Amino acid sequence: MNRQEPPESRTAFNEDWAATILGLVLLVLVLVGVIPPGLVP
Amino acid sequence: MTAPASTGTRTWQWGALGVLVVLLLGAATRFLEKGVPAWFEGSALAKAIEFPIYAIALGLLGNAVLTAAGLRDRLADGFRTEFFIKTGLVLLGASINLKVIVTAAGPAIIQGVVLISTVFLFTWWLGGRLGLDDKLRALLSAAVSICGVSAAIAAAGAVQARREQLAYSASLVIAFALPSIFILPALASLLGLSPQVAGAWIGGNIDTTAAVTAAGTIVGENALAIATIVKVTQNALIGIVTIALTAWFAFRIERRPDAPRPGPAELWRRFPKFVLGFVAASVIATWWLTTVSADHGKQVIGVANDLRTWFLILAFVSIGLEFRVSSLREAGWRPVSVFAAATVVNVVVALALALLLFSDFTAD
Repeated sequence: MNRQEPPESRTAFNEDWAATILGLVLLVLVLVGVIPPGLVP
Repeated sequence: MTAPASTGTRTWQWGALGVLVVLLLGAATRFLEKGVPAWFEGSALAKAIEFPIYAIALGLLGNAVLTAAGLRDRLADGFRTEFFIKTGLVLLGASINLKVIVTAAGPAIIQGVVLISTVFLFTWWLGGRLGLDDKLRALLSAAVSICGVSAAIAAAGAVQARREQLAYSASLVIAFALPSIFILPALASLLGLSPQVAGAWIGGNIDTTAAVTAAGTIVGENALAIATIVKVTQNALIGIVTIALTAWFAFRIERRPDAPRPGPAELWRRFPKFVLGFVAASVIATWWLTTVSADHGKQVIGVANDLRTWFLILAFVSIGLEFRVSSLREAGWRPVSVFAAATVVNVVVALALALLLFSDFTAD
């Protein structure tokens, strides 16, 4: 956060999409049972 | 041509090592979160300590150790607070019924608009009285009124602020957010606020989304849901504020009549896309729960909640790892005073709005 990021950080916007996609993919994997109860410590 | 490639590889490797450090500290947090209540059975204090406290404490400890070893700055690329918190918030959407989001959206938007305008204008005015540079004033105003570091980054782009001004603002956000994670839940309990009002107060007041989530978790699941909806609404308003700032700086402060006028494409570019993921997760989970038995549904959403907790732990650990006192010292007393005064105004106005808009809140 205190790294000397350029004010117009492209990473911040790409991170937004990456977080959205990863979060939704994980949710779908949980709902279809690929990540079953008890697997996440 | 080989030198830049090898530097790039090295940077990538340091970043990966940074992520490994975050994961190890996250695992230690999970271990303490589960172990301490069992080791100190019967102790109310051991039970009361929630995972954000362990995560931030271990992050700060790791920060001190890595700084002493001279490794912290090299590993910093792996401390991805924003990515971890946003993934955690998308997963959090799965445990919030769509009806709650729809019902809370109206009051959350009203609270967001009133709070952002009041706190932004107050901070801008006070910064002017204390003679701060216009760009730093804009950054501090955006950071304290909207949502901390991401707002400061967006505002820095809008007004073309200097890098060190962004660093001051980001450090101030974290320095003020860390104690509020513990102070606000304690005050909410002292004032006897309902979980909904406490959540709206925390969501409206604490600057960084990660800290809002930490404080909401300490109060409880219902408070966390409202705090998140309020904060996510403020996040969604970043685009509008940065566009207004871009136009204001170009036309009024710097008087560049030839500056391009920002349009809808700019608004979309500035929109935090994870907000869409948060709502989508709620839509998917709300629909899915209607297709399975209540018991099975609860068990499966519990897995999504465990994953969410992991990502939030990684975000809180990263907050601790990223905290830096030196840029606060460089900033001097004036920005700190402006930020402190603005935070007090934010606390009071947010409490009044939370009481006004969320006292009778119910999604039933």
